[in-house]
Amino acid sequence: MNALIIGQMAVSGALMGLVYALIAYGFQLTYATSKSINFGQGELVMVSAFFCLTLTNLGLPYWLMVPGGLLFGALMGLIIERAGVRLALEQKSEGWILLSIIMGLFLFSAAENIWGRDDRPFPTPISADPIRVFGVDVTRLELSVAVGVFAIMGLIELFKRRTLLGKAFEAVSADRDAAELMGISATRTVMLSYALSGAVAALAGILVSPITTVGPTMASALILKAFSVAVVAGLDSGFGVVLIGMALGALESLASFYLGSGWREAPGLTLLILALAVRPTGVFGKAVIRKV
Amino acid sequence: MLVVDDLHAGYGASEVLVGTSLTVKPGAVVALIGANGAGKTTTMRAVSGMLRPTRGRVTLDGREVQGLDASRIARLGLAHSPEGRKVFGPLSVEDNLLLGAYSRLPKFLGYKASARADLDRIYELFPRLKDRARQSAGTLSGGEQQMLAIGRALMAQPKVMLLDEPSMGLAPVIVQEVFRTIRRLKEEGITLLLVEQFAKSALEVADYAYVMERGRIAVEGTPEELGRNERVIAAYLG
Repeated sequence: MNALIIGQMAVSGALMGLVYALIAYGFQLTYATSKSINFGQGELVMVSAFFCLTLTNLGLPYWLMVPGGLLFGALMGLIIERAGVRLALEQKSEGWILLSIIMGLFLFSAAENIWGRDDRPFPTPISADPIRVFGVDVTRLELSVAVGVFAIMGLIELFKRRTLLGKAFEAVSADRDAAELMGISATRTVMLSYALSGAVAALAGILVSPITTVGPTMASALILKAFSVAVVAGLDSGFGVVLIGMALGALESLASFYLGSGWREAPGLTLLILALAVRPTGVFGKAVIRKV
Repeated sequence: MLVVDDLHAGYGASEVLVGTSLTVKPGAVVALIGANGAGKTTTMRAVSGMLRPTRGRVTLDGREVQGLDASRIARLGLAHSPEGRKVFGPLSVEDNLLLGAYSRLPKFLGYKASARADLDRIYELFPRLKDRARQSAGTLSGGEQQMLAIGRALMAQPKVMLLDEPSMGLAPVIVQEVFRTIRRLKEEGITLLLVEQFAKSALEVADYAYVMERGRIAVEGTPEELGRNERVIAAYLG
């Protein structure tokens, strides 16, 4: 019986952990091409979720709302790249950190003004009735998170490996200068990575909202966990974030069940500190020697 | 084909090029030689757009290109095989080659079919690359990486090719192989600007040569003329 409870906790936790993994994957996408990440990614998750809620309230069916949300996320990603990150990167400055935080705060205030401060339910046609798999109850809703996360990550990885544009993306990650000499525009590749990262953030919002509700602060805890996952797994392994994300989700769920809900955040922060102390390049990361 | 006129460029406050001028005629192999730090690599970088020139003109096939992004200049027909080879280490040998032809190929699917003839030509030129087509480029030896870098530049079917220090860090046997390749490219009529530390070997394949000193061209002429120049012999051909 006890084993079953542990299994139950671990499985639901791991499924939630996939959302952390997805957001962390969004960090990896932009880091690969530009060595920058959007520190306002959590707010991007949140406004995209609100935008999708509005689309749904306007009567758009779920399956049309999803692509609409992804497009919105991609567009927001492009705006953040153009209005914030690029300005800093062109000056070879680290100002993108502050600029992306500021844009996040701006999105947060905008969301409070447009949609209000209350948490709202997010309607979905996917049922929350549990199905029993090997004695463990999972809901279709939780499974939809897994399906969505693996689908978009799989598609993006397929794009990177199979299309020439995707290979150009990898080339810019490997050596930006050399890629430029092939006629590949690094600027456009960075834009593409921010658009993809934005779409990924939007999908994270769409997947998690039916479970957690939508509100201006919905992503503040999520984003912290996603950071932990990205740091622990390293910024260049998509496989790593999935594994670490699921492990963290499971640990959190077990910690809050056995130690009390106040302990929920403990595993993430512990992992983060351990990783920074023991292996700062991430468990799956490659050590990079910076040549000066 | 390529005309560089009064080019100035540098890094920050230090100016490396102080009025470099040179001309590469269609189908010619032109060598650029000179001591370390004379500005040979900087000239290459300023021509291909990796470094923005502060003054002067670069004309590629009748079109002024100075100040454009490197990717734009590449699309206009200049292929620069940079110093240190700079192959894409994590990508496969074949992907490296395909990316060489990036601007000419369909961006999503079907690119490999369109590049088939070009790939075959490169594999015929460098059979070793064919054997290692699926291997990641980072695992190749220095000589193989140099072949890959040259092959990748050829894939672009460039109007002008810049080849920077192709023999750097390679064993003597491999250096000979590199020069055999350059001679072969010359027979095929490729327009080539070659930077080399092995001045003697470079002058053997070149139609014309420039000697750089402290950021500008000090002496120029055909290899025969330079071979008779006392100063050049003393400094570079000794």
